[in-house]
Amino acid sequence: MALLEVKDLQTHFFTREGVVRAVDGVSFQVEKGKTLGIVGESGCGKSVTALSIMRLLPEPPAKIVGGSVDFDGIDLVSLPEKSLEGVRGDEISMIFQDPMTSLNPTLKIGTQIMETMEEHLGYDKGQARKRAIELLEEVHIPNAKNRLSDYPHRFSGGMRQRVMIAIAISCNPKLLIADEPTTALDVTVQADVLDLLEELQGEHEMAMIIITHDMGVVAEAADDIVVMYAGQIVEQATALDLFDNPEHPYTEALLGALPQIEGAGIREGRLTAIPGRPPDLSDPPPACRFAPRCPYSGRGDSCSTEPPELREVRPGHWVRSAHPASERAREPDPVGAPT
Amino acid sequence: MRAPDPAHSGDFQVAGAGTPIQQSSLWRDAKRRYMRNKGAVVAGSIFLAVVAFCIFVPIFSPYDPDEVNFKDAYLPPSLEHPFGTDQFGRDLMTRVALGGRISIAIGFAATLAILVIGLTYGSISGFVGGWLDNAMMRFLDALYGLPYLPFAIITLAIVGTVNFWTMVIALSIASWFTAARIVRGQIITLKQNDYVRAATAVGARWYRVLGRHLVPNTLGVLVIAIFLELPGVILGEAFLSFIGLGINPPDASWGAMAQEGRQVYRTHTSVILIPSLAIATLVLCANFIADGLRDALDPRTKET
Repeated sequence: MALLEVKDLQTHFFTREGVVRAVDGVSFQVEKGKTLGIVGESGCGKSVTALSIMRLLPEPPAKIVGGSVDFDGIDLVSLPEKSLEGVRGDEISMIFQDPMTSLNPTLKIGTQIMETMEEHLGYDKGQARKRAIELLEEVHIPNAKNRLSDYPHRFSGGMRQRVMIAIAISCNPKLLIADEPTTALDVTVQADVLDLLEELQGEHEMAMIIITHDMGVVAEAADDIVVMYAGQIVEQATALDLFDNPEHPYTEALLGALPQIEGAGIREGRLTAIPGRPPDLSDPPPACRFAPRCPYSGRGDSCSTEPPELREVRPGHWVRSAHPASERAREPDPVGAPT
Repeated sequence: MRAPDPAHSGDFQVAGAGTPIQQSSLWRDAKRRYMRNKGAVVAGSIFLAVVAFCIFVPIFSPYDPDEVNFKDAYLPPSLEHPFGTDQFGRDLMTRVALGGRISIAIGFAATLAILVIGLTYGSISGFVGGWLDNAMMRFLDALYGLPYLPFAIITLAIVGTVNFWTMVIALSIASWFTAARIVRGQIITLKQNDYVRAATAVGARWYRVLGRHLVPNTLGVLVIAIFLELPGVILGEAFLSFIGLGINPPDASWGAMAQEGRQVYRTHTSVILIPSLAIATLVLCANFIADGLRDALDPRTKET
């Protein structure tokens, strides 16, 4: 039984320009203690998926119009706000992209860490303070005891993200959602924060969802990977399988855009870019959403007439494309496709 | 240009390094910025001096402010009576100070009432949002049509008696609309902040979000609003007393004293001049103070 099971989630934004289908039928599972990576470019719906799970989207304009989010036996989609407040922080916690703005600049770090524990665990000031120091030490902030009474502007970006992580794990959540946790940080700090997340995951036996546009991040941290494009999942597999044998043309292109420094099978020459831009989600392409940018879509196939289903090309490896890599070998080469 | 701030430059502490760097707190920064505005510093000093004058003069004055003594009526300023005396021979300095106590107290009480009502109304409207916000703001739009002073007069007429508290009610009942709008705007702006969403995501309940992250951050604007509202309220009180609807003799307020002086302004100018000057000084100072506080508490809006 999975800890988190998202089924056919649909989140739409009702705007003046029309309905934007930001998340359109997304399903995945997260097992206890495992890490799921959600990858995709900006605007593909990965953050909206996470915020839908937490029910943190402003309604209106956003609305979850379909599907279910089953967390440990509770359906989060239908849960009233009051009960959700008990789930957030306690059972599921989330950290965000920009640590520079995620802390209240007018409150001391200690106040902000202790706040959640006093709320959810019923700690008194002394207990919360003691635990806050432990937490800061756990996220490797030196001189933890004295730093409790510092304001956020005295911390660097990486340290603020550590503080955010400390707050997020303070109530021992079963699931931690990290929305682009390293995007705003320097490259050297990125690795530290990822290591820290993995370390804490082991200690606290948390499941994690890491949302990122950086293939390098999921390669390091994730057990399973979901690739999203234009509000849909286009490929889903274990991390190893996905990196070794990408099936969807979009995943291939993402990996092709990643520089490699060493290793077997290293690609030579220029990095590839994906032509075109992601579709407008208020008016997506009628069938396959990647078709306009796909090098393999051509005349005579179903790409522009029939939306492809997510199908299992081999055990545990799902793909939504008429031209997955493993089948392409058997097809005649369409004109103009890269060899 | 600003000089680099020493408190912000050496931000990082080496692990285990002994003494913590001196804290630069929000209020200390604010004080530093306020002190840079010379006009506001002068205005603040005068304001405090006027308040101190009103508090201490009646305590140390040898004169009974209400004792009628026609022998001494309309004495010119002298060493015994620095501001002279009025038609009943009462010492003007003592009465101006006493009137100031009432005027300033009514001013602050009504301003606080305005802010409390405005804060409550505005934060509910801004925080809940949606249709409630819409309804509450349209209601406010309708109330905005109410003229402030006529409404205060009507309120006094309905209540029937004039005393300190009815004056406070009359002056605040039709003037909290702007404060409510300011607070609502602030709350809505603050609600967009990442740290509000982040706090919710890690488990802060709604009352924590409102009480810890939203309302305290409107405090700066509210402190400014106190000194923006104060002149209007003090003028309103003076006006009501001047036309005879406010504080009644023998109690003094600056408006009531100006009214007494109005009848003899040609022959005994100081009787109307002194309370009027007091009103003008206080109102002017309040405006300068508001300006300085804006620089101090909302530094992003200046630096032009």
